[in-house]
Amino acid sequence: MTLSNTRFGDIEFSADDVITFTEGIIGFPNYSQYLLLNHKPNTPFRWLQSVEDANLAFLVAFADLIVPGYAPEVDNGVTRELALSDETPTMVLTTVSIPAGKPQEMTTNLLGPIIINGATMQAKQVILSDDAYTVKHRVFATTERVAEKVAA
Amino acid sequence: MLVLTRKLHQSIVIGDQIEVVVLEVRGEQVRLGIKAPKDVTVHRKEIYEQIQDENKSSANVRLEDIPEP
Repeated sequence: MTLSNTRFGDIEFSADDVITFTEGIIGFPNYSQYLLLNHKPNTPFRWLQSVEDANLAFLVAFADLIVPGYAPEVDNGVTRELALSDETPTMVLTTVSIPAGKPQEMTTNLLGPIIINGATMQAKQVILSDDAYTVKHRVFATTERVAEKVAA
Repeated sequence: MLVLTRKLHQSIVIGDQIEVVVLEVRGEQVRLGIKAPKDVTVHRKEIYEQIQDENKSSANVRLEDIPEP
């Protein structure tokens, strides 16, 4: 199958590549089918490209690669809904925002991770009940503070 | 919108399985307890809206702003 006219050009994919969000992504309830694009290889970043709307793609990242130690605990309802077990290949992605021209101000949403069951390709955006996480976690906060210190 | 007045420890029932209880009233803050089946998700509205905003903003990132490996 081909998805034409995306930001990334035409995309060839098969039915096995399609990730299904039964309830959609928060704020986008009408779209349930996505592809995970590896647009910049060797980075933790991916694009979650809508199959239903070629113009819609979310920048996401493998959260533990940009925020070391990030391992959200999802409640049993989610585990059941996505049929997750210890053997399930599970992907945890978080959306990434970058203000135009300011990559150093990149933030990622640790409170609303996207959990994908890699075996069934069923996925869900979860809202955690852990107050330790924020929707705008600064990815480069620590490095930047060190850099400021050096500059001062 | 249905408007109901409740006192401390009183509750409302929504459908057969959802109950919302007023646990505490302190000045401008109200603590609510919610009993609902596991498959009913309950969230603070502002959190839901914040996540919606983050999703939208992640869909607007420019390709050239993504750091190189």
